[in-house]
Amino acid sequence: MRNGTGGEMTGDGTGMADKGKGKYRTAILLAVFAIGLFLFTLFNGLE
Amino acid sequence: MSDAAHAHDDHSHGHPSGIMRWLTTTNHKDIGTLYLFFAFIMLFAAGSMALLIRAELFQPGLQITNPDFFNQLTTMHGLIMIFGVIMPAFSGFANWQVPLMLGAPDMAFPRMNNWAFWLLPVAGLMLMVSFLLPGGAVAGGWTMYPPLFIQGGISYDLTILAVHIMGLSSIMGSINIATTILNMRAPGLTLMKMPLFVWTWLITAYLLIATMPVLAGAVTMLLTDRNFGTHFFNAAGGGDPVMFQHIFWFFAHPEVYILILPAFGIVSQVIPTFARKPLFGYASMVYATASIAILSFIVWAHHMFTVGMPVAAQLFFMFSTMLIAIPTGVKVFNWVATMWKGSMSFETPMLFAIAFVCLFTIGGFSGLVLAIAPVDIQLHDTYYVVAHFHYVLVSGALFAIFAGIYYWLPKWTGHMYNETLGKWHFWLSVIGMNIVFFPMHFLGLAGMPRRIPDYALQFTEFNQIATVGAFIFGISQLILLAVVLKTIKGGAKATDRVWEGAEGLEWTLPSPAPYHTFETAPVVK
Repeated sequence: MRNGTGGEMTGDGTGMADKGKGKYRTAILLAVFAIGLFLFTLFNGLE
Repeated sequence: MSDAAHAHDDHSHGHPSGIMRWLTTTNHKDIGTLYLFFAFIMLFAAGSMALLIRAELFQPGLQITNPDFFNQLTTMHGLIMIFGVIMPAFSGFANWQVPLMLGAPDMAFPRMNNWAFWLLPVAGLMLMVSFLLPGGAVAGGWTMYPPLFIQGGISYDLTILAVHIMGLSSIMGSINIATTILNMRAPGLTLMKMPLFVWTWLITAYLLIATMPVLAGAVTMLLTDRNFGTHFFNAAGGGDPVMFQHIFWFFAHPEVYILILPAFGIVSQVIPTFARKPLFGYASMVYATASIAILSFIVWAHHMFTVGMPVAAQLFFMFSTMLIAIPTGVKVFNWVATMWKGSMSFETPMLFAIAFVCLFTIGGFSGLVLAIAPVDIQLHDTYYVVAHFHYVLVSGALFAIFAGIYYWLPKWTGHMYNETLGKWHFWLSVIGMNIVFFPMHFLGLAGMPRRIPDYALQFTEFNQIATVGAFIFGISQLILLAVVLKTIKGGAKATDRVWEGAEGLEWTLPSPAPYHTFETAPVVK
C-alpha cells in the first residue's frame, strides 16, 4: 500500500521510522516552494 | 477500527517542569494546549476592543474614544482576531488532533513545532505594545493599504514585523502539518480514509504555504517603501498603490478559507457523532474542500470592484466568486443529509455545529450578494460587509472552534464539562451573536459606512440593538472560560470513547490522552 508520498507503509512500528526519511523531502519541497513564492512576489514588485 | 496500540505512561521522562516545560516542550499535546490558551487570551484582548468599538457606537457623536483611537481599535481587532485567535486556535486543534487521528506518535518536526508556536506570543506582544508607542497602534485598517500604511509612525513598522513573524510561524506550522499528514499516517490509513478534519487541515496547510509568502512579500515591500526609499506602492515615485491591493487580496481571499476550512473539518467530525451516522458523501466533501481551495485563488479582485477594472474582469471575478457557492452548497447539503433520519442528540458541540450550518450559510448567502459587482459597488465599505464577514467568522469559524472545544475537551482533560453551563454558553452566544450582527445588514443597506466612530441619527436604533447584543455575546464568553477551567480542574470522569457515536483512532485512547501516544503505530483495517 502506498502512503501518498511514495513511501511504502508497513504494518509494524518500524514503518514509522522508514517514513521519517520521506518527511525531510516533503518539508524541503514545501519550504523551497514557499521561499520561491516570496521571492517571486518581490520580483513582480520590481517589474 | 484499529488496534489501540499506545503507551500508557502519563508523564514526561525527565522533562523540565514548570515554565521550562512549556518553553522547551516538543510534545504535540503541550504545543496544542499552548496554541489554544494563546488564542483564548487574544480572544479576550481583541474581544475587549470590539466591546469598546460597540460602546462608542451606542450613540451618535463621540462618547469614549477619539476618531484616531477608534481606528486603532478596529484595525487591531481585525488583525488580532485573524492572526491571533482564529488561526492559532485551529493550529491548536491540529496539534492536538492530527497525530491522534493519524495514529502518529507526534508531529513530523517537533522542534520546529515549538518554534512555530513561540514566535506567536512575540508577534502578539509586538502588536499589543504598539498601543503604547507615540501615535498609538496602527489605524490604517487590517488590510494595511498604502498610502496610509506608508505614512504612519513607528507602530506601523512594528506591525509589519509582527505580520512577518506570524507568517513565518504559520508557514512553519503548515509545513509541519502537511508533512505529518503525508508521511506519518498509520499503516492502512489511506488518504481517503482520513478523518475530514485531517483532510481540511491538509488543504489548509497547502493554502497557507501558497499564500503566506505572498503576504510576506507585500509587507516587505511596504517596509522598504517606509524605510529604504523604494517606491513599490508610492505613486509619486512611479509605484502603484493598487498593486498592493491585488497582492494583498491574492493572499487574503484564500486566507478566508484558511479561517473556515478547518471549521468545516470540525463540524464534519461533530455532526456524524451526534447524528450517529457516518458522514454523508465523504468523497464529495473532500473534493468540495479541494475545489473551494483552488477557486479561492481566482476570486481575489471581488474585494476591489470599486477600485476600477475592465468590465470583463469584473464579470470574471463575479462569476468565479459565485462558483464557490457550488462546492460550499455540496458541503451544507452533506451535513444536512448526515443529520437526516439520524438518531440525533443535542449536546453542546452538536448545538454549535448546527448553529454553524444555519448561520454560516447566512454569511455565505450575503457573500453571494456582495459577489454581484453592481451590488457590491453600492454596498462596498458599508456595514453590510461587516455583517457578512462576521456571520462567516463568528458564527462560522468561532462557533466551530467552540464546537471543537466542547467535543474534544473530555479527551484532552479526562473530565466531562458541565453540560448546563455549555448550553447557557451556546444559547447566549447564538442569541447575542444574531442581535449584534443581523441589524448590521440593515445598517449597511441604509448606507452606514464601516470604520467610523460617529454616524447619522437615523442609524441610532440598529446600532443600539447591536451594542446590546455585543455585550451579551462578549460577556457570555466568560462562561466558556469558566467551563474550560472547571473541566481542567475536575469533573465527572470521561470514558475513552466519550461520545456514543464517536469514530476514529483518537477515541481508542484513554481519556485524558496519555502524554505519549501511538509509539507503536496502530494498524487501520
